[in-house]
Amino acid sequence: MATSTYLSNPSVTVNSVDLTDQCHAATLTVKYDALESTAFGGTSRVYTAGLGDHELTVEFYMSYAASETYATLASLVGTATTVVVKPTASAVSALNPSMTLVGTFLEALPVLDAKLGELSSISLTFKGGTYAAASS
Amino acid sequence: MYTIISSRIGTPGDVFTPTDDTNVDALIEGGFISSDKSAAKSAKTNTTKAPDAPSIEE
Repeated sequence: MATSTYLSNPSVTVNSVDLTDQCHAATLTVKYDALESTAFGGTSRVYTAGLGDHELTVEFYMSYAASETYATLASLVGTATTVVVKPTASAVSALNPSMTLVGTFLEALPVLDAKLGELSSISLTFKGGTYAAASS
Repeated sequence: MYTIISSRIGTPGDVFTPTDDTNVDALIEGGFISSDKSAAKSAKTNTTKAPDAPSIEE
């Protein structure tokens, strides 16, 4: 049995707007290009970090009401913005670090995704940007 | 100066201080904040000559 588990309940902020109550999935992947630096004499391939290529994928319930999902995102598509995620909505600490992508690009926004009898939900991917984690 | 309208970014009525990377235009367009900036008035220029002003002669 795991000694410590995490019930997914992160906070998600896009361009300073807290959309936590519309979000139901979030995956932030910190990734760097792996540049091979293996040289003669080596017995295994080795790599060094190249450019960062981070990505945040989030799923939001769609709402066209004031101050909701569409109002937040409509003006951001095709631009770079800042997103912040935290494991929980509590204050930032070493046990609840804030993870930020600054200058991350929102390439596409599904402005309508409707299915009969289902809550409308959209999936977004914020690409690139500078990653930083803070514990205070 | 910007004022918060939506509780999603803070307490409505409080001053919103954007960081350098905040897309303020998107927040205004989305109705989250309002801009209190008003166009600065230009200084008035008095083009009439004061009665006691000395005349300039070459």
